[in-house]
Amino acid sequence: MNRWFAVSACDAVPPGHVAYTQLLGQELVLWRSAAGVLNAWENRCPHRGVRLTLGSCVGEELRCQYHAWRFASGSGQCTHIPSHPQQKPASTIRAQVFPLCEDGSFAWVNLTRDALPSPHPAASLDTALRSIFARAPVAAVRQVLLQGYGGHSVGLGDEFTLSVPDQKLQFMLQPVTEAQTIIHARLRGDLNAAERMTIFRHHNALLSVARDQAEAAA
Amino acid sequence: MITLYDYALSGNCYKVRLLLNILQVPFSARAMDFHPGREHKSDWFLKLNPLGQLPVINDEGLLLREAQAILVYLASRYDASGHWYPRQDAAALGRIGQWLGFAEGLTATAGAARRHDTLFVEVDIGKCRAGAHALLRILDEHLWFAEQAGERWLCTAEWPSIADLACFPYVMLSEEGGISRLPYPAIRRWAERVKRVPGFIPMSGIFPASAA
Amino acid sequence: MNASQPIESVLWDDWHPVAELVQLQRTGISGTMLLGVPLTLTLAADGAVSATGAPQGTLVPMPHVQIRYGLVWLCLGTPARDIVDFPETREPDRVVCTGGSVAVAVSGLRAVENFLDLGHLAFVHAGYLGEEPHTEICAYKVEPLAEGGILATQCRVYQPRPSPMESQGFEVDYIYAVRRPYVVVLFKANPVEKERMDMIALLAQPVTEERCIAHVLMAYPPHNVDVASLRWFQQLIFGQDRPILENQVPKRLPLDPRSEISVRADSSSAHYRRWLSAVGVRYGAVPAAAA
Repeated sequence: MNRWFAVSACDAVPPGHVAYTQLLGQELVLWRSAAGVLNAWENRCPHRGVRLTLGSCVGEELRCQYHAWRFASGSGQCTHIPSHPQQKPASTIRAQVFPLCEDGSFAWVNLTRDALPSPHPAASLDTALRSIFARAPVAAVRQVLLQGYGGHSVGLGDEFTLSVPDQKLQFMLQPVTEAQTIIHARLRGDLNAAERMTIFRHHNALLSVARDQAEAAA
Repeated sequence: MITLYDYALSGNCYKVRLLLNILQVPFSARAMDFHPGREHKSDWFLKLNPLGQLPVINDEGLLLREAQAILVYLASRYDASGHWYPRQDAAALGRIGQWLGFAEGLTATAGAARRHDTLFVEVDIGKCRAGAHALLRILDEHLWFAEQAGERWLCTAEWPSIADLACFPYVMLSEEGGISRLPYPAIRRWAERVKRVPGFIPMSGIFPASAA
Repeated sequence: MNASQPIESVLWDDWHPVAELVQLQRTGISGTMLLGVPLTLTLAADGAVSATGAPQGTLVPMPHVQIRYGLVWLCLGTPARDIVDFPETREPDRVVCTGGSVAVAVSGLRAVENFLDLGHLAFVHAGYLGEEPHTEICAYKVEPLAEGGILATQCRVYQPRPSPMESQGFEVDYIYAVRRPYVVVLFKANPVEKERMDMIALLAQPVTEERCIAHVLMAYPPHNVDVASLRWFQQLIFGQDRPILENQVPKRLPLDPRSEISVRADSSSAHYRRWLSAVGVRYGAVPAAAA
């Protein structure tokens, strides 16, 4: 499917961190190099199939936990095979890379490997709210949100994007699997320090209710 | 010299090994034939701990059972910095106590699921997994808000406490009991911070942080 | 696995471990599964073991059950040969024990291959069976065994803590013998008696194609060895492998050499996979694509 999906708030993956997510059943390792480059790869080392999410970031490389093979940020190219340290790994040995772009607050991934970066504007004044994981299909989550959010009406942008215009709030749905969805949410504009935590808690509570309703319906 | 009655694959024993290593307190480990020998249920061991459970420590005649209790003792007795169990801060001790209780819940859910899936122990596996997910969801939410408030640890802002060590093992071993941590990204970030505590050691099933 | 396709004779008509005796002695009765067939094992007062199972749907007694090496063995079909032999267990001065059986959510073939693997020792077992910077795996020899299976020799790894008895590191010589599709034996140089080797065998019980129980049999020369320490070390080491195994995708072992990338250090793995194809093993594997 040639489509971009939000998969994480940008600051949920700080430099050096390796995170784990899934999109439409495709497992992803989401990791940010020391220099700040965010990568989304198929969660599987090409050597013996071990999940790369068990691995760790070493500078600009991701190191598999099993045999410590290292793969370069950006290209996914294998750069080092410790059992043969003097040899340069064949250029065919690489992790499978998925296109990814960041818009200032969220990271977007496309499962079509040659997709060009999406023209998402860098909306750097947005605030990412806490993402909520629901054990419910995306349709159930969409349905619950469309019925209203905290007394406000919700509009459908596209299948996976909804908004509460008078609250300057946008929801981005990540279909994890057929039965699981992550609700990402952003507020337009920056928040001042005094109101941040209150607003975070407010929306976390509302989204948790939406999650509970979607799970009950599923 | 402290003697620790120990089993390599016990998350509760690991909590004690971890703090002993962080505090650089020397100890001697007595390897117990937990599986399949069930040495922890033998007559001689029941005299040390009538509950027949590990870990137990013997510190020059002081016998203690219960991993959480041992952490309280070791931190109180051997931590010169006072960070791991800040005895002068009643509110902090209360919060730590809260999370030590939470850690017991993790043992009873995620720990039990792991024992079922690995060592053939009979439990209501559906109930254990659901119980673990309920706790992990609460933990993830708590850690996310702590991060937003600039706090890097479970219930203390600047330094980790024994609450972090008490919750860490059975969280990190949850997948051995069929409990995925994909829904809990804040837990993953907290775990990385725990792994970088000076003196951190892993146990089988938990990998250390990269050398970077 | 095609439900109507029978399981290949090389597995169906062979003996497999199905329980650790000391565990069965504790409970008297135990449920398990072999090659997808649910089984019930019962230990009588006189120490004899019997089994029932439903290989064709109806519950029947399973006639081929034996106790050997502290394990209960069962054959679902008609045994084509005897239980795999471990002559080292009969040397009178060796300490012989089972290692503590552990369930793993992966094909037993993956578990056997992991046991053969040298490249992971410095990472997964860092501080014990290997250590950086000693990561290079020098060429070693792999050849077929006359009675079937493969033999890997001239393997050598620097190990900081090769066994529970040793707190000093040294270069350890390894020999591996894959004797059956789901059975691999490791011989490690003993630090005290240079002519004798420690024996550690992994016997994987194929529960289903994607789940196994790792049974372990050990026979060590007697120096500074006790059962509790041997079990502690074995379970510590296997406990380090377990999350790796449970996170391999796919869970079944791919036999097609194009599915996963091998380097020279993976020689024993490449031979193992080729041998499995040659003897017709499909259960627990992703068979090689037809040419």
